[in-house]
Amino acid sequence: MIPADIVALAGVESTLPVLQSGTSFLDGLGQFLSPEALVSVFVEGLAKSAIYVMIAAGLSLIFGLMGVLNFAHGTLTMIGAYLAGIVMVVLVGGATGQWGRVLAFFGALAVVFVLVGGFGGLVEVGLIRKLYDRPPIAQILLTFGVALVLEELARIIVLFYGLQPTSEWQEALGTKPAVLATRHSLGPLSIRGLALFEILLGFLTVVGIWAFLTRTRYGLFIRAGSEDAEMAEALGIDVRRVFTVVFALGAGIAGMAGAVLMWDQIWGANVPLAAETLLPAFVVVIIGGLGTFRGTVVGAIVVGMVDAVTTWWFVNVVTWTWLPDVAVFLVLVGMLILRPQGLYGVEEVGGH
Amino acid sequence: MTLLEVDGVQTYYGESHILEGVSLEVEEGEVVALVGRNGVGKTTTLRSVLQLTPPREGSVRYRDEELVGLRTHEVADRGVGWIPEDRRIFSQLTVEENVRVAVPDGEDADESVAFAFETFPELDSHRGRDAGTLSGGQQQMLAIARGLVGENDLLLVDEPSEGLAPQIVADVAQALAEASTETTLLLVEQNLPLALDLADRFYVLDNGRVVDDGDANAVSADDERLRRYLSA
Amino acid sequence: MAISSETRLVGRLNASWPVEHLRNHGVHLVVVLALVAYPGFYHLLTNSPVSAEAVAILPRMPTMIALLYFGLFAMSFDFISGYTGYLSFGHAAFYGTGAYFVILVANGKAPLLPAGTPFMVSLLLGGILAALLALAIGLVSFRLSGVYFAMITLGFSQVMYVFIRGWDYVASNPRDGPTVGSTHSEGFEIGVPYVDQLNLAIGSFSGEEVELFGHTLGTYTTSFYMVGLVVLVSYFALQRIVHSPFGRVMVAIRDNEERAEAVGYNTLVYKLGAFVISGFFGGIAGGLFAGYARSVTPENTFYFLTAGDALLASIIGGFGTLAGPLYGHLFDETIREFLSNAGLGGGLLPYLRQRLGEGVLGTEIFGGLTVEGFITAALNGHAALYVGLVFVLFVLYLPNGILGTLRQWLGGPVSKRVPELLRGLR
Repeated sequence: MIPADIVALAGVESTLPVLQSGTSFLDGLGQFLSPEALVSVFVEGLAKSAIYVMIAAGLSLIFGLMGVLNFAHGTLTMIGAYLAGIVMVVLVGGATGQWGRVLAFFGALAVVFVLVGGFGGLVEVGLIRKLYDRPPIAQILLTFGVALVLEELARIIVLFYGLQPTSEWQEALGTKPAVLATRHSLGPLSIRGLALFEILLGFLTVVGIWAFLTRTRYGLFIRAGSEDAEMAEALGIDVRRVFTVVFALGAGIAGMAGAVLMWDQIWGANVPLAAETLLPAFVVVIIGGLGTFRGTVVGAIVVGMVDAVTTWWFVNVVTWTWLPDVAVFLVLVGMLILRPQGLYGVEEVGGH
Repeated sequence: MTLLEVDGVQTYYGESHILEGVSLEVEEGEVVALVGRNGVGKTTTLRSVLQLTPPREGSVRYRDEELVGLRTHEVADRGVGWIPEDRRIFSQLTVEENVRVAVPDGEDADESVAFAFETFPELDSHRGRDAGTLSGGQQQMLAIARGLVGENDLLLVDEPSEGLAPQIVADVAQALAEASTETTLLLVEQNLPLALDLADRFYVLDNGRVVDDGDANAVSADDERLRRYLSA
Repeated sequence: MAISSETRLVGRLNASWPVEHLRNHGVHLVVVLALVAYPGFYHLLTNSPVSAEAVAILPRMPTMIALLYFGLFAMSFDFISGYTGYLSFGHAAFYGTGAYFVILVANGKAPLLPAGTPFMVSLLLGGILAALLALAIGLVSFRLSGVYFAMITLGFSQVMYVFIRGWDYVASNPRDGPTVGSTHSEGFEIGVPYVDQLNLAIGSFSGEEVELFGHTLGTYTTSFYMVGLVVLVSYFALQRIVHSPFGRVMVAIRDNEERAEAVGYNTLVYKLGAFVISGFFGGIAGGLFAGYARSVTPENTFYFLTAGDALLASIIGGFGTLAGPLYGHLFDETIREFLSNAGLGGGLLPYLRQRLGEGVLGTEIFGGLTVEGFITAALNGHAALYVGLVFVLFVLYLPNGILGTLRQWLGGPVSKRVPELLRGLR
C-alpha cells in the first residue's frame, strides 16, 4: 500500500490542473471521465497490476502446491530490491548510457532470480521440510519467524553500510535511465516511462509463468501436485522436490519484483518494503483465489485498478487519506464474505 | 514368481490401529481380490503397500525388494500403480494431460498417450477437455488408462465400481479384464460378483486381519464363508 | 497409585477447604507472589553490589507493566487461537478498540459518556465494545477455517488500522494517534469508582504514590500492582472458562471439529462465544495500555504486527496454555530490553562498559570493527533478530513452547502436577 504522503508522487496526475478538495462529486466525475484521466488511470492501474502480479505470483504458486502461506514473501521481495540495487550501483556509472542501464537491469534481474530463488530453495529444504508432518499452520508460523529474522538481518546490514533502513535507497534509484525516469507525452497524455516498463515486465512474467506451467513437463507436475499432491506422488512424481523447486521459483519471482520496485520512487528499496508488499500480495492472492495462477492474474488486475482509481479520486477530489488502502482491503473483506475461495479458487487447496 | 508379499503389516492412522497383521501374496499375472466390509482396512492395505500410510510393523516386498521405508514415488517408479477410490483424476488438467502426467520419465509420452486413446476410444473425443467435466464412468476409464501407461507391473485398484451405474460397471469390468492380460491386479471391491468374476484368488479382510482366502473360481457370491464376513 | 473413592472422600473431609484450595492453586500462588515481590526484589538488587548485573538483566518496571497488559492481550489471543485452533491474526482490532475507546472517553469524544467517567467504567465498556466487534467479525469469519479465517480477520483489522489512521475525529493528527488531554489530567484510577480510598491511579507521571510501612511505592510500582490486579482477575476468569465444559468443547473443536459437530455440539455458537470472550479481554488489555500510557498510536494498537507479537509470545510460551503467552512475552521483553539501544536501565553495552571497561570495548576484532562497534551494529536494538531466531527454533523443535513442553514433561498442567509430585515425594 502506498503511504499517504507519498501518494502525491503517484503518477496519476493528468495535464489538467489539480482540483481542490471539496469539489463536488459530479465535477470530480466529470473530470474522471475525461480521456486524459481515464487513460492515465488505466495505465497506472495496469502498472500497479503488473507489480502486484509479480509480488503475488510466487505466493500463489507456493500456497497452491504446498498449502504454505509464505509470510516471508515480502521479505524476499525486499531482499531482491536491495540486491538489485547493489548490482546496479556497482555496474552503472555516471557515463553509462540509457540502454546500457537497461541491459544492466536485466542482468540484475537474472542475478536476483538466481540468488533469491536459490535462497528460497535452501529455506525449503533446510527448514520447511522439517515440518511436513505437521499441520500447514506450523509452516506458516515458520515463515513468519523467518521473515522476522531476515528483516532484522537486512536492517543490520543496511545500517552497517551507512544507509537508512526506512528511507528509499536514493543511489539505487539514481541508476535509472532517463527514459524510464521521466514522463512521456503522447498528445495530451502524460505517462510515466517506468509505468510502461513495469507493464512490460509484468506481462513477460505472466507469459513466462503461464508457458512454464502449461507447456513444460515440470509445469504439469506442479499443476497436478497443486490439485492432489498425494495422487501425484503415487504416479511417480517426487513431490518433495517439486515443493523445493516451486518454493525457489516463487522466491525468485518475488525477488525480481523487488528489483523492479527498487527503481520505482513510490516504493523504493527499503526495509519496510517487506510489509508494504506482503499485505497487497495476500489481498491479491485471496481475491483471485489461493492457489490458482489465473486467479492471481485477475486478482492483480482487480486490485491494481481499484488502487489506481481510488488513488486518482483521493489525489484529485476527495480528501479521505485512507481511501486507496481501505478500498482494497474492503474488496478483500467483501470477497471473503461473498466467495471465500476467491474468484477462481477451489475449495481444497494444497497439502502433502 | 511372487510379485508382492505382504507380511504381518500393522498400520495406524494416528492412534487408530487399522491393520493388525495383514499377510497376503500376489503372483505375477494373477488377479487377486481383497474383499470385506466397509472400514475393515482394505484401502489401508493398499496405502500401506504404496507407503502412503507406511506400516509401523511388518514387511512389504515387491519383486523381493523391501518397500517399507521407501517414498511413495519410489514405489511407483518400481512399477506399482494405484487406481484409487474416487478415481482422483486431476480435474483441472485436460484428459490428455492426465494421461501424460502418468507416463514415467524416459518413456515416449506421445506414444503412450496414443496407446491410451486407442485402448479407450471414448476418451479420445474428450482429450482436450478438462477432466473434471467427464462422467463418473469416463473418469474411471481415465484412471485405468493412467494406470496402464505408467508401465506398472502391479496395479492396486480400489473400488472401481463404486458409484457407477450397472451398465458402466460392465464396461469397467471389461477394461479391467483386458488390463489383467497385461499386468497383475490387486483388486479391492465391495461388489462381490464383480470381484469373483475378475479374480483368480481372493482374500477376506475382517477387523484389520486376513481371515480367509481361496480360489475365486471355486466359490460363488452366495457362499456361506463369504456372507459371514461381508454382511453389513 | 489408585486411591479409592472412600479414601478420597475421607481425605476431603479431613483437609479443610482453604488447604485444599491452596493445594490446587499452589503454583498460581507462587507465581503471583513472585510478581508481587518483583518491584521490591528489583529495587533491592539494583541497589546492591550486583546492581550492574541486575540493571542489565532484570526488566525495568515500565517493561513489567507493559508485560502485564500485553500479556493479557497475548492470553486472550491464546484463548481463541490456542484452544479452538482458529488463529486470530486480526486480534489487534480488539486491543485497539479498547485502547482508543478509553482515550476517546477521557477526551470527551465518546457519545453519552462524560470525560470524567471512571476508568473502570470506560475500561469495561471498551471491553464490551471489543466483544461486540468480535461478534460481528466472527459471524462473518467463522464460515471459513484455517488460513482463510486467519486472513479474513487480518483483513478486518487492517481495514480498521487504515481507517483509524486517517480519521480526524480521534486525534488532531490521526497518524500519531490520540493522547489524553486536559479533560482528564488526573491519572486513570483502578479500583472501586468514586471511593477514593479504594482506588489508585496509574500512569508513569499521573499515577499515585503510596506510603506503605514507611516505604514510598512509586508510580511505577502502584501502576504495576493495580494493572496486575485487573490482569490477575482476568486471568482467573479465563482460566475458569477454559476448565469448564465450555472450555472442553473448545478443545474438542480444535482436535476434531467434525467429530464435535457429529456428537451434537453447535460448534458455531461455541466458536463465536470463545471469540467474543477473547475479544472482550483483548479490549480490556488495550484499555489498560491506554490507561497507563495515556497515548497510543495506530501502529502499537491496530497494526497487524501487534497480533504478531502475541503470536510470538504464544509460540515461545506455549499455545493452549493460557499462562504460557505471559511467560513468552516476558522472554521477548527481557531480551529486547537487554539488547535495547536506549541503554536506559539496562542493556548489554552499559553493563559491559562498567564491568569490562572501555579498553575491552575498544578492542578490535577484525578490519577496524571494535567490540563496541560489533555490539552496536549486530546486537543493540536488534533484539528482533534473536527473538525471531528463538521463535523459529521453537516452531521447529519445541512447538509446545516453554509451558507446553513443561506440561508434557510433567504429564499435566503445572498447577496440578507439581503438588501431586511433591506429595509423592513425601
